[in-house]
Amino acid sequence: MSRLTKLLGCVGALLFSGLAVAYADPSTKIALVPGGPHPYFASWAQAGADAKKDFNLGAADYKVPEQWQLADQNNLLESLVTQGYNGFLLFPGDPVGSVSTVQELTDSGAPVIALAGCLKDPSTASFCFGTDVYRSAYLGTQHLIAGMAGTKKRILHVTGFLVDPNTQLRINAVNQAAKEGGATVAETIADIDAPGPAEEKINAYLAAHANDIDGIISTAWVPSVVSANALRRIGTKRIKMVAIDHDKAVLQGVKDGYLLGTMLQNPYGQGYIGSYAIDKLRNGCKVNASAPWTKNALTARFIDSGTVFAGPEQVDNYLQSMQAITKTIFASFAKTYLICSK
Amino acid sequence: MHPPSLQIMDISMPSDGPAAASLDASDTTLTPSPRVRRVRFYLTNEFGLVLLIIIFGAAFTFAVPRFLSHFNLFILGRTAAENIVIGFAMMVVVVTGGLDLSVGAIGVCAAMGGGWLMQVAGLPWPLAVIGGLLLGAALGFVNGWAVVRSGLHSFIITLASMSIFFGVMIFITRAQAFRSIPLSFASFAHIRYFGFISPLLLLAVVIMLALVYLYRLTALGREMLAAGARASAAELSGVRVKRVIILCHMLAGLLAGVAGLMLVARNDAAIPSMAGQLGQDWLLPAFLGPVLGGTLLSGGFVSPLGTLLGSFLLTLLTNGLLLLQIGQFWVEAVLGLLLLVAVLLDQARRSFIARRRMI
Repeated sequence: MSRLTKLLGCVGALLFSGLAVAYADPSTKIALVPGGPHPYFASWAQAGADAKKDFNLGAADYKVPEQWQLADQNNLLESLVTQGYNGFLLFPGDPVGSVSTVQELTDSGAPVIALAGCLKDPSTASFCFGTDVYRSAYLGTQHLIAGMAGTKKRILHVTGFLVDPNTQLRINAVNQAAKEGGATVAETIADIDAPGPAEEKINAYLAAHANDIDGIISTAWVPSVVSANALRRIGTKRIKMVAIDHDKAVLQGVKDGYLLGTMLQNPYGQGYIGSYAIDKLRNGCKVNASAPWTKNALTARFIDSGTVFAGPEQVDNYLQSMQAITKTIFASFAKTYLICSK
Repeated sequence: MHPPSLQIMDISMPSDGPAAASLDASDTTLTPSPRVRRVRFYLTNEFGLVLLIIIFGAAFTFAVPRFLSHFNLFILGRTAAENIVIGFAMMVVVVTGGLDLSVGAIGVCAAMGGGWLMQVAGLPWPLAVIGGLLLGAALGFVNGWAVVRSGLHSFIITLASMSIFFGVMIFITRAQAFRSIPLSFASFAHIRYFGFISPLLLLAVVIMLALVYLYRLTALGREMLAAGARASAAELSGVRVKRVIILCHMLAGLLAGVAGLMLVARNDAAIPSMAGQLGQDWLLPAFLGPVLGGTLLSGGFVSPLGTLLGSFLLTLLTNGLLLLQIGQFWVEAVLGLLLLVAVLLDQARRSFIARRRMI
């Protein structure tokens, strides 16, 4: 686990330890299950560990499917039910394909929250809690376009797995922001949120077309890292770039001026607050149907876990920015989104 | 070398492979004694698999308190059903001495075809299912035709067709899933008889019985076995080997289609990635079931019951390892090891039988 993640975890734990111990239930066993191995989700492990301690839960364990395959995730989820887990924070392997599995989980009495990615309505998940990826990609592209002033504003968009429910939203957002900002998306390279394909496709594109673009927007973790490294290797600051997430290579690239900035997400806050919400739902609280839910392309019950742009000036203290967002969401979460009888 | 007629005659015997099948059942001078028969029974794959299933089942029951819960038994049965049918799809080609690396790609194509017929064409689901199965059989025909026309090993042909079928499917569907699957169809994967029996498992058993009937009681089944045991000899005895090989590949495509549609019901959606990239996620279960069950990779001998038991054992181990929480990154490694051990043990068993002159 990265030092950043640990630091974030420790600070988060200190921040929230005094806020919520009420209604803690040691019989609550929560599994935080991503779609597959990916650095974005690493913070969930620390978030679960902190939530277990702070809310006196029986368990809040990070369980990773072996591969990014729906079948692997389904098998893992089914085995976790048998192991006695009774609450799930789940990044859906497929927005529709996971609905039937979630139905089986909730039928077994375990509440489910879709975390970091949503299920397509209707589903038995309580709600979806994650980054408003459309907004994040849209704002990131706006920052990029602002940084490309005086150029032809030709953009390369590098993004994640096509099976990821968020990818199409990100593509739409970048296209929309480009259209509004007078820029053109010269190319969208998708399905490259893994080191092998990302290295191959991004480097090949830059080798052949570096002169045909003025900026890069990355809306997935691995393409951000690969693109940041490629720009550093080429040694050019002509091509502007806005990345996503907080990998060390990205943060250093921002500091050194190879990147304009990065759009930060809040995976720690997702895991921490999500665990808290699952415990509440297991102990008599209901979802507040009239809460101020946000709608997106998949669901009508979405909560934004926060996103913020970090440029060279903000990159050193971005943790505080995300913690502030997490603290704000947490402070009013139960009151806003849940109805609790006690 | 055995006369081809004997090969065909003996394939219906409950034997240990082509070596055993070389005996003429009417040859009373070589009829094994009751003791030898008993030992041979204990050395069959099926007996060994039942024993392993009992041992591992008992171990997991002891180690995981909720292993025998209705939920887990249902999940176990449903997943086993999918693996069993995937294993059958490979088995019916292996019986000819061939391989079908494209079972996953065909299964996904059939599933996507069925999904398209349900969602876009708006056909009632029984017709859509038939359409999906026909697509699977048609793709199997392409494989079989290419194998007999080119004379190349099916390994090469199906390695190529795996990419072609999957690539064309992705191009046509634009990698978009079909998600409006009728509830009446999807419910097959979610119904629980007596709280823990999946209808899909019953379907797998029915398919096994049909395959037993095919190989034991029909001329076509015997021709398939004869063509796999020694194609040239079968040809001499009047078997149209090329036609038989094409039919085997069509049957494999049909069964892969059944497995694909089972997954559609399981997921309530036809998803291009449901068998992994190029359908490769099916390859290990496709090989493990038949090999554990005693089907010879060189062809000529088949055991549908063994494949069913082998696939069930595979599913049991996967389930148990996951429940023991030691499996998440090790399950694939353990299953690969199991495949290797199964092949070596089978070889040792055959050597033992041959050395003791039990055939």
